[in-house]
Amino acid sequence: MLDNYFPILAFIFVSIAVGIGPSIGGWVCSSLLGWNRPDSQKLSPYECGFEAFEDARMKFDVRYYLVAILFILFDLEIAFLFPWAVVLNEIGFFGFVSMMIFLLILVVGFIYEWMKGALEWE
Amino acid sequence: MINFEMAVFYLFAAILVFAAVRVITARNPVHSALFLVLSFFTAAGIWMLLRAEFLAIALVLVYVGAVMVLFLFVVMMLDINLDRLKEGFWSYLPLGATIAFLVVVEMVLVLGGRYFGLQALPAPADPGANYSNTRELGLLLYTDYVYPFELAAVVLLVAIIAAIALTMRKRKDTKYQNPSQQVAVKRGDRVRMVSMPSDKGG
Repeated sequence: MLDNYFPILAFIFVSIAVGIGPSIGGWVCSSLLGWNRPDSQKLSPYECGFEAFEDARMKFDVRYYLVAILFILFDLEIAFLFPWAVVLNEIGFFGFVSMMIFLLILVVGFIYEWMKGALEWE
Repeated sequence: MINFEMAVFYLFAAILVFAAVRVITARNPVHSALFLVLSFFTAAGIWMLLRAEFLAIALVLVYVGAVMVLFLFVVMMLDINLDRLKEGFWSYLPLGATIAFLVVVEMVLVLGGRYFGLQALPAPADPGANYSNTRELGLLLYTDYVYPFELAAVVLLVAIIAAIALTMRKRKDTKYQNPSQQVAVKRGDRVRMVSMPSDKGG
């Protein structure tokens, strides 16, 4: 079974080599061939940049998290649907009903969040 | 003698241990989160070596694709003072090290060779090239393990309701339009016709 996945492993190694190779090569070439004379004026932002006014980390609305958390929960629900779809022919009516109960319980949550207005963006 | 599968396992395990150590030692929390992504990927590789292909792909899809994106989002955007988080490290170290040691002892006792060794759980035979882990999982999950499966739905439902209850805030000061009300408005709601006697005076 693992033999089927060997191309993916090979792909991972090749893509790591393709991704890292040129950047390391460029770094080595530029450090060997180029001049490096840092200067406070050269390293400071000029013309097309400002000094940062404030920290990028700031308080922001908790509702972004709510959307993200709800996304994760329904993402998990979808993950349960994949094996079910693969074996639906073999598990028969019982398996069908068990998934329908699963979905029904989650639809209760979906209706709850809809009615609460958790998906509204005011 | 090390065969190819073992070599891949040791490579993934080494990357996993390295990434896991970097998660707790990296100074920048964004780097920690990215190392956690790397450790999830390598853990997925190890699960694949255990022939748990569905779980490996679910790990990448759910944890890397959704949970870690949320973590990164939180870590990048949240208002955390890095210097204040670091202080108190040495004063908490003895207590933290004691707890970590106890957890390690417990895990060795439970997960050691007595219950999870090769005698207790012999390695399964190679299931052949056409073995589908997803199919085997589906055959068991929706029939034999239907009760835990429905319990999982209840847990997810509790999570939905808890997330809404904890983070739902109605803002009082937002102004918004209600288009259906705007369309349904009649002349009588806006204009009042008043009949007045005309002005007689010069």
